[in-house]
Amino acid sequence: MDAVTTEIFSQVAPALPYVIGVYAVLWIGLMVYVGLTLSRVGKLEKQLALVEEAFAKRG
Amino acid sequence: MDRKKLTYWALGVGALLTTVGFLLAFLVASPTQMMRTTDSGKGAIIAGSYISHLIDYGQKIFFFHVPVAIASFLVFFFAAYFAVRFLMTRDRMYDTKARIAMEVTLIFTTLTMLTGDLWTRWAWGVWWTWEPRLTTYLIMLLLVIGYFVLRASVEDEEKRAVYAAAFSIIAFLDAPISFAITRIVPAGSEAHPVVIGVPGGLSGEQLAAFLLAMFGMLAFGYVIYQLRSREELAKERIEALKAALED
Repeated sequence: MDAVTTEIFSQVAPALPYVIGVYAVLWIGLMVYVGLTLSRVGKLEKQLALVEEAFAKRG
Repeated sequence: MDRKKLTYWALGVGALLTTVGFLLAFLVASPTQMMRTTDSGKGAIIAGSYISHLIDYGQKIFFFHVPVAIASFLVFFFAAYFAVRFLMTRDRMYDTKARIAMEVTLIFTTLTMLTGDLWTRWAWGVWWTWEPRLTTYLIMLLLVIGYFVLRASVEDEEKRAVYAAAFSIIAFLDAPISFAITRIVPAGSEAHPVVIGVPGGLSGEQLAAFLLAMFGMLAFGYVIYQLRSREELAKERIEALKAALED
């Protein structure tokens, strides 16, 4: 965007920070959900490895 | 490449593409094709230029809203596909796959409704209106929620799987209706915008930002589906092994 267009945007878009904020919150929310799911899966797979080990030992 | 590695790759690609899409949407993509008239209807001189329209930054939501909506339709399609496969084979694996795909559909449908509602408030000045796209999409959200209500209300596992599969296939019929409704119903004063597949809909940089965000979002859809599948598989295996150990 050129300087004039940027100036125009700053004059006519007072709610821009809110739009960016909402966009970012939803996007980050999705990333956090993926992160939490990844963490849960990691814990479960560790637990599964332990149970499998116990099962193998029992023979 | 095994599925686990592919999931991590998709996670990286999804994060990268949605981040680049986000930056492009706000820093590069021009909003000039989606302007709205000033509230007074009169122009003004700003920075030496005559302005007759307000720049509509609300449309920036588009770069998040549409990719998420497309992902919701696509994942819903896979849920219906797995439901069909279940009814054909009666293999419980397909029931689990369909349920997980419906969970992902619920996530994307909810995000679509939230972002769409924000745009509606910005562009039309109301939080809700019974416009055809909004109405059919709301029905889709309610059907997806209804799927989980149905599953929770049937105790017998076999019946639950059959009813849920039949319900999700019928519910999916709303997805193509919702997708095509803006092209079927004549546009009114508060019609949902149509920008894809119409002449002059998106400029080059807008299309680039949109495509990056869309492929990023589809990658996220794949990642969530795979992670939830692994979670369910691990849970089932742990329960089975625990039961075997107790015997």
